[in-house]
Amino acid sequence: MTARVIQRLDEADLIRAVQRGDQDAFEQLVRAYDQSVLRLAMNLLRSAEDARDVYQEAFLRVYRNIHTFRFDCSFHTWLYRIVTNICLDYLRKRKVRKEESAVVETPDGPVDRMDSFEQEGSHANPESNLRNLQLGRSIDAALSDLTPRERMVFELRHYQGLRLRNIGEMLGTSEEAAKNCLFRATQKMRAVLGEFV
Amino acid sequence: MNCEAVIKAIPLYFYGELSPETEERLEDHLHGCASCQREMERQKSFAALLDPRQTQPPVNLLGECRQDLMRSVYREDAPGARHSGPDPWRLFREAFAALLHPGIRFHHVNFAQPLAAVILIGLGYFSARFTAASPGAASVAGLSPDAVISAIRSVQPGSSGQVQIAVDETRRRMISGRLEDSNIQRLLLAAAREESDPGVRVESVDILKTQGGSAEVRSALLEALTTDPNPGVRLKALDGLRNLTADPEVRKTLAQVLLKDANPGVRIQVIDLLIAHKDSSTVGVLQHLVRSEDNNYVRMRCKNALQEMNASVGTF
Repeated sequence: MTARVIQRLDEADLIRAVQRGDQDAFEQLVRAYDQSVLRLAMNLLRSAEDARDVYQEAFLRVYRNIHTFRFDCSFHTWLYRIVTNICLDYLRKRKVRKEESAVVETPDGPVDRMDSFEQEGSHANPESNLRNLQLGRSIDAALSDLTPRERMVFELRHYQGLRLRNIGEMLGTSEEAAKNCLFRATQKMRAVLGEFV
Repeated sequence: MNCEAVIKAIPLYFYGELSPETEERLEDHLHGCASCQREMERQKSFAALLDPRQTQPPVNLLGECRQDLMRSVYREDAPGARHSGPDPWRLFREAFAALLHPGIRFHHVNFAQPLAAVILIGLGYFSARFTAASPGAASVAGLSPDAVISAIRSVQPGSSGQVQIAVDETRRRMISGRLEDSNIQRLLLAAAREESDPGVRVESVDILKTQGGSAEVRSALLEALTTDPNPGVRLKALDGLRNLTADPEVRKTLAQVLLKDANPGVRIQVIDLLIAHKDSSTVGVLQHLVRSEDNNYVRMRCKNALQEMNASVGTF
């Protein structure tokens, strides 16, 4: 409902209403973008708790700083600048803590925290299950080899379908630099996943 | 273009990020080079491997995030905000409860479910209206692990560094039942009026809207539409009234909302509902709006609606 309504409304009017302190307008604005923000955070960080924190922090920053939004870029770009900055901070902290992998040790052996969210319908075939498990771990390993910036560019292009020009704008860099980043990310990942390709 | 350049460009070609000229030169090369064609196939296989790895957030996460966010936003100071600034007692209560029970998070269960499915209602502060508070003083150790502090009644310094704090303690309960159950309906009707949490009101009205045949529910939907400060709730109420526009009382209320509601999204939705039944009073309201409406889109929608109803745009 809200997404349909927001399409009809002039987004600029909505933003101006939020700038005047209209909290209901803010809620409508959030609902237009928050699903994709949450999906991005979830896919990048592979943790529901972290995705929740990114969501909260990003939209509160939007609310507190929307008076500085001057319409010199699209709201989508402005929002994603905030979201990607927060996610990059999380990824960098994880690099430092070496907790990039979603695999955690349990008394029953290593378990991928994301396994509960995927592999639907594969229970009937143990061989395929095992391959999926190995593939999943290899993908995690490949992703953990990327720098946070490469990871972000790859995520935004491959999974979120954004254009490299927009990605460059969001990350405060050029389209050319985003292209190089995507190329490096692809090469690194293909090197790790070679046996599956 | 040689093989080395093509191999370097293949990932960008796959993502459609090459210029049309480079793309054309790369395709020319691919037609005549089996080795680069294999490289292209490997790129496609690689991408296909990754696709199933996309994770979706758990079902309730989005709803919980929205509720947490709006709760924080309603506590923020904002110029022109309808709600007043942060309530010091509330902040104190939450800080106090968090201190005692760090695991407690102040959000409700997201319970949007299809019609006739079993409804699970997570009630936080809301449950306080239906459960007896535990009055009187309580030691920290005496607080229940699932308790929520709903009010601090007094704070008194005692002897030897002790402090006495009188709290009202409520307990969170999960109540489940079918939508047809009158007790469940009663709770939902109360939840639809829950002042402190627009998220609870939105979800409640969303569930209730399927029961528009009940006079009590219809009355609650009309009340939400005319009095709820949150446009999300009002839009849900409008959804619930969609099949009731033949009722003159509903149409009269819709016409009033069209003239008074501050939210253009709500006004547009009302127009859509009103034109389902052509009557002279609707035409009059729409003609009035064509003259007085500030929002260009709403005004245009009014004109279109009048045309759809074969009525004149202006009055004579």
